[in-house]
Amino acid sequence: MNAPIIDPLQGDFPEVIEEYLEHGVIKCVAFNHRGSLLAAGCADGSCVIWDFETRGIAKELRDNDCAAAITSVSWSKYGHRLLVSAADKSLTLWDVSTGEKIARTTLQQTPLHARLNPGLTSPSLCLACPLSSAPMIVDFEIGCTTLLPVYVPEMMPDVLLAPQQRSKCSESGPPFSPAAACFNKCGDLVYVGNAKGEILIVDYKSVKVLALVPVSGGSAVKNIVFSRNGKYLLTNSHDRIIRIYENLLPAKDVLRSLEDLGKNVDGGVDGVEKLKAVGSKCLTLFREFQDLVTKMHWKAPCFSGDGEWVVGGSACKGEHKIYIWDRAGHLVKILEGPKEALIDLAWHPVHPVIVSVSLTGLVYIWAKDYTENWSAFAPDFKELEENEEYVEREDEFDLMPETGKVKVSSVNEDEEVDIETVEKDAFSDSDMSVEELRYLPAEPIPDTNEEQDELKLIEARISASPASEEAGQNGHVADHTPSPLGEMGETRGKRKRKPSEKAMELQAEKAKSSKASGRTVREKSRAVGDQEIVDSVNGDDEDDVDAYY
Amino acid sequence: MPSGVGKEAVNNAGTSGSSPSFKPYRHLKTLEGHAAAISCVKFSNDGNLLASASVDKTMILWSGTSYSLIHRYEGHGSGVSDLAWSSDSHYTCSASDDCTLRIWDARAPYECLKVLRGHTNFVFCVNFNPPSNLIVSGSFDETIRIWEVKTGRCVRVIKAHSMPLTSVHFNRDGSLIVSGSHDGSCKIWDAKEGTCLKTLIDDKSPAVSFAKFSPNGKFILVATLDSTLKLSNYATGKFIKVYTGHTNKVFCITSAFSVTNGKYIVSGSEDNSVYLWDLQHKTILQRLQGHTDAVISVSCHPLHNEIASSANHLDKTIRIWKQDA
Repeated sequence: MNAPIIDPLQGDFPEVIEEYLEHGVIKCVAFNHRGSLLAAGCADGSCVIWDFETRGIAKELRDNDCAAAITSVSWSKYGHRLLVSAADKSLTLWDVSTGEKIARTTLQQTPLHARLNPGLTSPSLCLACPLSSAPMIVDFEIGCTTLLPVYVPEMMPDVLLAPQQRSKCSESGPPFSPAAACFNKCGDLVYVGNAKGEILIVDYKSVKVLALVPVSGGSAVKNIVFSRNGKYLLTNSHDRIIRIYENLLPAKDVLRSLEDLGKNVDGGVDGVEKLKAVGSKCLTLFREFQDLVTKMHWKAPCFSGDGEWVVGGSACKGEHKIYIWDRAGHLVKILEGPKEALIDLAWHPVHPVIVSVSLTGLVYIWAKDYTENWSAFAPDFKELEENEEYVEREDEFDLMPETGKVKVSSVNEDEEVDIETVEKDAFSDSDMSVEELRYLPAEPIPDTNEEQDELKLIEARISASPASEEAGQNGHVADHTPSPLGEMGETRGKRKRKPSEKAMELQAEKAKSSKASGRTVREKSRAVGDQEIVDSVNGDDEDDVDAYY
Repeated sequence: MPSGVGKEAVNNAGTSGSSPSFKPYRHLKTLEGHAAAISCVKFSNDGNLLASASVDKTMILWSGTSYSLIHRYEGHGSGVSDLAWSSDSHYTCSASDDCTLRIWDARAPYECLKVLRGHTNFVFCVNFNPPSNLIVSGSFDETIRIWEVKTGRCVRVIKAHSMPLTSVHFNRDGSLIVSGSHDGSCKIWDAKEGTCLKTLIDDKSPAVSFAKFSPNGKFILVATLDSTLKLSNYATGKFIKVYTGHTNKVFCITSAFSVTNGKYIVSGSEDNSVYLWDLQHKTILQRLQGHTDAVISVSCHPLHNEIASSANHLDKTIRIWKQDA
């Protein structure tokens, strides 16, 4: 809806840290379908859901049985359910709107990674990738786990292979390293990346490997991720290369297409070769990304919401670097955060916003550096991309222009106006029968009496402080660049509801310019090199003051 | 029931002509209860409740069906200028001359849940965003403030204008805010970043007294203190419809879109009547008369063909008008 008036000339990826969120020690994050809610798992076993618009906490999910660190969080497609995997080998399924536990199961091993089936509206089926065993499908309703095949043994003449429900013993083969797996967009196939450097396309219902795609280089696959529209697949391998594959399979009816492909392969080709032949029709290598200079390992690579950008975090210790490439393969940006290792990364599904989790448990929000478009200030300004030759009217410079000429209004005032119909949302998928859970209702927390008094006291004190209006600062003057005013960058920090009086005094003193009202200036922090984010105690009066005229 | 003035050729002659398919509104009820001028009256989004705010420092909650008085909210230190409903009709927020906003519960026990402090002068206008997790308020201190509903924290302060603000409104998906001010300008802001995206009007006069988005968020209805209402397609910046005939030179009179039965623009007027225009043809369909002072605020019921209007000091009543079936 805003497309016509938002400046199209700005790049579509974030540039600076906008603020950070804090709630205990966060281990992993996930956005819901629209990016209106951000779920995060903590080291103490609880989950917190932030309302991303207000950046306030919308809900907390606390399970008394689970006190182990959360290893991953995953939303259901319409945002009603949240799957949480923890270090105590458990998987818990939560109902988001009520905050109640739906189901809980304990696996043999700690699942590093668990994803709900993206194709179902109320999924109770999920994919879990444990630390040292094959990925498995866990069905909460039936209560069974199905191990998925990770290798296609060379010897088998037949395509079919179904490892039985083994417990702990690993398959014969190379020493076991965790295999990565993910659902495809509609949730009927699982793509498994194994330690031999192969991608297996598995039909999990029949536990059958339908195709095999060898990854060049043959090194173990650590992560495997689909883009949101299902057209591209990303693998992160042990050889420090991120590879992008194009998904050649159609969006719907994938199983049938795979069957057809299997049939169409030349007769005489069997077993593994057949799988490879089918596989070559499913995925083609599109691009490879690596950092040739530092040859670093990548962590948590993923696509942007529209699939145009690929982002990967550097897995080096003590470094918080995020690399952004465009799909053609060019490195467009390296975002550098504070000197804390990066442990998780997520790109907002809609906006050019990235959220990164550091080892210290803080969630950093990266966003574009917004500068105002000067043409926004006058109604009839039009911004041009390049110089346009001005062609004047025939009589424009005449001394006596024709008086009879009436300027034709380019607006047809009789045209019908439609004030009600809304365009179909670009983000809604075809199935609109299910209502999406976009927001958790915001219920105002009633003020207590003591808070009221304290606030009144603080206000009285601030209004008594001398009003200093330094010229040229972010005051009433039309200087609207919110540049950091010399001091250490402060971000909107902890959300304390009750500011201590001392802190408010500090704020009043720190303020560069304040009117008698005591509005304090907030400076945006720029993540340049090793700038530290100063923890600022936040009160109700910490505002974002920008001058606009 | 007629589908409203549509595409057939209607007589556009005269300002008080009415199309044959337009069923006029009739006075249904008069609600008394306020002791001073009523600044704002609004139906809740589910149509079950009606709230009115007044210079007498109180807000009254009425039933939207029987129009009986349900509760009187007291607590503000000065007169209330504006009120807004949350999308789920559970909460109202009032803006007052005591520089605060208050969030009230619209369900028993009708408590004041939060007081939002931060503005340094009269708070004049307020609105919730569609998800109702944020509140936007405009004040005489020339700023727009965005508040988080849950905690009452002020999320952002935008130094928006050079004179008191008269009106703030979120668009349909909560991504934009339109603001109008006495400085004659009407601006559109990015709700997330607080940056100015567009300026619709920038003349020093007349003052912009009211601005709001259309239901689909594509158009903005702007009222200026030269007795004019304009509908603008803000993407192009052009004013595509102009509605005149009423009087609006002094007060910040609210207008509304009526979409339940035919598309109308409804507005109060300083000549003590409520005006209804045909949205497309811009003709005045009806003048609802009965108030004894300037009509400051109007609100259209979201489901029924009813309009509520409230008036100034000499009148102090709310009148409900209902369209003939």
